[in-house]
Amino acid sequence: MAASSAAGRVLTLCRQLQNVCRISSTSHFVNVTKGQNPVYRGMSPLVSLSWCSSLGQCRALHTTTSRRGLEEFFDHPNNWGETNVKSGAPWSAKQLRAKSSEDLHKLWYVLLKEKNMLLTIEQEAKRQRVQMPSPERIRKIERSMFRLETVVSERETALRLLQTGQTKGRPGAWRRNTFGYVYWYRFKEYAIPWYMNRRYKRKKFYTPKFVQPYIRLRIEKYIREKARKENLKKKAQAKLKERFPDMKVSSS
Amino acid sequence: MPVTRLLYPLYQLGNPQLRIFRPNWFLTLVRPGKEQPPDTVQFRIPMEMTKYDVKNYLEKIYNVPVGDIRTRIQYGSNKKRNHLNQRVKQPDYKVAYVQLAQGQTFTFPNIFPEKDRAPAEGSLEEMQEKFMEDEKQRQKLDPRRGGVTEWFGL
Repeated sequence: MAASSAAGRVLTLCRQLQNVCRISSTSHFVNVTKGQNPVYRGMSPLVSLSWCSSLGQCRALHTTTSRRGLEEFFDHPNNWGETNVKSGAPWSAKQLRAKSSEDLHKLWYVLLKEKNMLLTIEQEAKRQRVQMPSPERIRKIERSMFRLETVVSERETALRLLQTGQTKGRPGAWRRNTFGYVYWYRFKEYAIPWYMNRRYKRKKFYTPKFVQPYIRLRIEKYIREKARKENLKKKAQAKLKERFPDMKVSSS
Repeated sequence: MPVTRLLYPLYQLGNPQLRIFRPNWFLTLVRPGKEQPPDTVQFRIPMEMTKYDVKNYLEKIYNVPVGDIRTRIQYGSNKKRNHLNQRVKQPDYKVAYVQLAQGQTFTFPNIFPEKDRAPAEGSLEEMQEKFMEDEKQRQKLDPRRGGVTEWFGL
């Protein structure tokens, strides 16, 4: 059975029922449903039930969560042996921002199960030395999950800002390392205080005096490189101007 | 998925149980290389997962009753060399052997059964197949010569 919950299937069926005239055959029905699998559109499942029972093409539905168990690691049996399995577009951040946190939480697990299923199929295809049907599905799911994560972290940051005034969840500080670079050092949780932590004390958060000449050399190198690039640009402009006197000079 | 490493809070005696929302771990069901008992399922799991993690994962997300779990780490070989004679490492992975509770059994199904499909009318596949068939027909020798090559003869 499909990896999505029965709710997901019902919702996709809902959309098809709205275009009743276009539903022609059961096979088309199955394909489109499968195609909508990773693209989970939220709608109330209860509304659709009465419609579905009247339509003879419906498969058996139940509103309880899917109890397929280990079958969810595999595709729908109709898709076994196919070379191409149609799938929808990945979720965009804009679409995800419109969803509630509860919906996003559920969607995460839908995507997780789908990815597990695809990884299983990929490994089995490698074992049987057969091409996996539609491998782009894995990338789509990865992208959807990444975007989901960004949306959730955006919401968490906003909440944290309002409640505590901090943007970052993990505390840190600007520190200088032995090479003279100032960077954002993120704190780590330890069971003992820092003055008892031998490994932490060996880490130097200051630049010793003997490193200064090397920093100077680094700065000189950087300045030379910058000057070289500027020079190159100017020379190129001059050459072009000589060849094409009427050329409009591009302002940099 | 965050680019930096996920740090879980340090556990000390008396701390509340760690809850993980939106786990970033993916299990792969694999066909066992060696013959396994009928109730054993073989998974490839990320290195960071433990037996308890796998048990909770399967029970909560997949609703699968889990009995015993055994894990091992498979070392990926570092022996093969590329065209620059550098050693290429195959990644290490952790394998979990999960025994199902309540007397359930599991056999790994055949996901790639042979399906003969007729290509659609007027499609590229149909034209390609027709072309290939025509080519094969041209390569065949004269059937009247009974399998003897063109080399013989007057």
